[in-house]
Amino acid sequence: MKKAKFVVVAAMALVFLTTGFGFAQTQAQVKEWRVPFLNCLTGAIASIGEYLQWGAERAALEINQAGGIKGKPVKVIGVDTALDPQKGSVEMARIVEEVTLVALGPVPEPVIMAAMPIAVENGMMSVTATTSYEYAVKFFPWTVSWFPPTEQRLGELVAAWAALHPAMKTVVQFVEPYGPWPGMAEAHVKGLTSAGVKVLPKVDVPSDAVTFGPLVVKAMEQKPDGIVFVCNAEKIAKIIRELKSRGWTKMDHLLVFSSGDAPELYATGGADINGVEIYNYINPNLDTPRWNAFKEAYMKAHNGNQPPSLSTNYYDAVYMIKRAIENTAVTGDPKKLKEERKMIAEYMANMKDFHGIMFNWDMKNGVPTNKPTFIFSIQDGKKKLVKEVKP
Amino acid sequence: MSLALYYYLSITAVNILMSWALYVPYRMAHLHFITVANMAISGYTAGYLVMALHVPFTLALAIGFLLGGLIGYLVSLFIGDAPTFAVVIVGFTFITITRTVIENMPAVGGTMGMFGLPNIGGSPSVHRFVILGILYGLVVLVGFLIHRFDHCSLGRAASAVFVDKDLAVSLGIDIRKLGILLQTFSCTLAGGCGVLYGFIYRSYHLDFFTFHLVGITMTIIFVGGYATMWGTVLAAPLLYGIPLLFPPEIASWRIVIYGALLILVLVLKPEGFITRRSVHCVEAFLSRRQKN
Amino acid sequence: MQVLIAQIINGLSLGSIYVLLVTGFNLLLLVAMIIHFAYPQVVVFSMYITWVVLQLTGNNILLGVLAGVGSSVLLNLISAPLFQKVMKNRGEVDINSTMVLSLAMGMIITDVLSHSFNRGLPIAFPEQISESTPVLRIGLITILSGQVWSLGVGVVAVTGFFLLLYKTRAGRAFRAIAEDPSGARLVGIPLLKTGLESYALTGILGGIIALLLATLLGSASPGLGEQVALKVLAVSIIAGLGNLPGGLVVGLLLGILEAVAQGYISGTWSNVIAFVVMLGVILMKPSGLFGTKL
Repeated sequence: MKKAKFVVVAAMALVFLTTGFGFAQTQAQVKEWRVPFLNCLTGAIASIGEYLQWGAERAALEINQAGGIKGKPVKVIGVDTALDPQKGSVEMARIVEEVTLVALGPVPEPVIMAAMPIAVENGMMSVTATTSYEYAVKFFPWTVSWFPPTEQRLGELVAAWAALHPAMKTVVQFVEPYGPWPGMAEAHVKGLTSAGVKVLPKVDVPSDAVTFGPLVVKAMEQKPDGIVFVCNAEKIAKIIRELKSRGWTKMDHLLVFSSGDAPELYATGGADINGVEIYNYINPNLDTPRWNAFKEAYMKAHNGNQPPSLSTNYYDAVYMIKRAIENTAVTGDPKKLKEERKMIAEYMANMKDFHGIMFNWDMKNGVPTNKPTFIFSIQDGKKKLVKEVKP
Repeated sequence: MSLALYYYLSITAVNILMSWALYVPYRMAHLHFITVANMAISGYTAGYLVMALHVPFTLALAIGFLLGGLIGYLVSLFIGDAPTFAVVIVGFTFITITRTVIENMPAVGGTMGMFGLPNIGGSPSVHRFVILGILYGLVVLVGFLIHRFDHCSLGRAASAVFVDKDLAVSLGIDIRKLGILLQTFSCTLAGGCGVLYGFIYRSYHLDFFTFHLVGITMTIIFVGGYATMWGTVLAAPLLYGIPLLFPPEIASWRIVIYGALLILVLVLKPEGFITRRSVHCVEAFLSRRQKN
Repeated sequence: MQVLIAQIINGLSLGSIYVLLVTGFNLLLLVAMIIHFAYPQVVVFSMYITWVVLQLTGNNILLGVLAGVGSSVLLNLISAPLFQKVMKNRGEVDINSTMVLSLAMGMIITDVLSHSFNRGLPIAFPEQISESTPVLRIGLITILSGQVWSLGVGVVAVTGFFLLLYKTRAGRAFRAIAEDPSGARLVGIPLLKTGLESYALTGILGGIIALLLATLLGSASPGLGEQVALKVLAVSIIAGLGNLPGGLVVGLLLGILEAVAQGYISGTWSNVIAFVVMLGVILMKPSGLFGTKL
């Protein structure tokens, strides 16, 4: 019997080793700048992951067409985490052990929580360009925040929105409990209150809600003049349809938050969201050769659909990496991996006058200091600029 | 040891333990999904104790086990002998309720999650050593306990209940007490796993404890073999590890592959790859060789 | 009072979704002894097929509906033999095997939808199907045409299938082959033909449910089935497995409970309240409020 148990234990060990062999370290000489992108290419938000990946690969294509980075091509490698923290952590562990100077992602927040501590522990920057400041700051200096602190920025923004509608005296919010969204709703409250608007008790939106009649009745019972939406894009569209069916007509008194500016909003909302206002950090109406080329390429690859607001985030992130490599003594030499990772992180955290696809901005200690925000009105699936709100 | 291997081994160990936590009550045909809720409750509690109250990790871990066991015991008083589908619904219900409660608790991070759990032992390498040691120590201990259970009268009683509940009652088996015992054990194990799971990542997020985890553990049990504990030991590292080696085009279809594999196994090999018969055959073969 | 009435109407609307899905779920249980946990995902799949055909044919409603019904029938016919194979004993409900099998099917359907249809984005149905014109609006009280249809058809479906299964020869044959195939064969019921007819019937119901959900919701997403699957199973168990009238009553009551909880307490806690009530009922009366019909 003892021998039987020994054989069984040995068999178990063999199984572990066989499946663990894929994690052997490799140290190849770098012929290209490999930038892994921990992304959700499958699963519930695969549609978002797809255009994030597209943006990053578009940047790589442009950079390579222009001669690469220090003469070497850049390659963005999509690493699917499938929204699974178990997968995300192992993939990040593999990435930090390879000759990787910097990574992109992870996306979204649960995978950030599981995987970023690994990057931090190993001194490698991973650019989380789609999460809020409140998540990113926990992992400084090994990531940068794409957005300024929520409370500081959003307060000014919604106050500016309220100022556009002086007749709007009361506002109610639809808030879904996910990640930083409740915090964003709190920031809205402060901003609206400072603008003299009374914020009515919020309406919580359950994550698994399929109909929204009860929530809309609850909101309308309070007789708000305006409504702010802090929930999933698809739900926002459905709530707006429900509002309209119950007689809501003041479409410009509806404000969608930035995370709601996603293809799901337009796919589900259609003409029902015409006139609704939305805030975000990019202006798709810009008329520059670079943006026009990006927009044209995106629409060609996506059946004529406009590029979503987040599609430029990792595009810009790849260009930031390019600039960091070009402006530091980074060589890609595996022997200098630790110092070069640190160089890139330090440079990116305090980059001055970065030329993003939309506008230029500065980074200070990992936080953007001068990104504008915009308020738009939606019309037939397109956004028309209503106001630019500068910091 | 490479970092990736550490994460692979530690998460595999958690998957083995959580699958065993499901295996034990399933021996009497109860799909006891409340274990995922136990993970979340004990995990967040331990995280709060360590971060806010500076309780030592070992004490927090012990509390995690005890809390899981207490919840499991209290619930099992009601569902120890309940029909299978009632147990399933209770499990799913607890997962939903737990999520909602945690979402609304700013003290444990609410919807944002809990960040920055400390390294045990003060350094990352010591932390990893400790976590891996505890996990595989648990795998050995729990494996031993389950092995003893499977080969004693309790295990035979559970098998009788699985096959024919009415016959088991007529044989004098107290289904309720057996159910309470197995469910309490299962929840105790799950509670400890929840604590360790968060300390692997050094953070907690609600989306660590979802129905997706139920799907993973179920796939491990049913593909590996639900009639013996060894099926889990085989399936957990393979089902987690092999997709990591897939090229991206195939890896993106991982969930479809899991689902198809589960269906194939259920149709062609209902007991899973490792059946009770195959374990008996291996044991008999090795015994014969030993005698020779 | 106006708010309460409005919430009750909302609750009836939500409840009608549960009623429709539970009716299909219970029908599969009665005619094939299958606990199809992923039945809502199958219905959502039919919604997607309907949408694809509408896109391809320039919103030809008839073709879209036929495609939806056809896909539901086809999925049923493909999956039914798998369920039959895994059930240990014909004539008994084997929850463990059928639940696991259906969970696996649900995983596949949801992932295929998020991979391969509309780039994983939600789909929106055209105005001709999902028009949200109010039939009645008094203050906060609004009744939409889609709500009327789904509730009406839900009640008709429950009544119709109840009569079919319990008052007609064909229905007795369906139940006989599910409960005791050997006995059914002995009395001369053709197993294959009757079995195929029963699966086709549930498939047709699935297609109709898909159309009604498209009318009521106006859109669908890959995760829609998963969002309601747990509640559908819970409604069926609380009412009593296989109990068609019970499913109608409990489905509507659950919808009203959720709507009132969302309206008066909190959206996020409404789920907890609904589940705690369900939990209480299951623990007190595991065979269901109205008794199981198996």
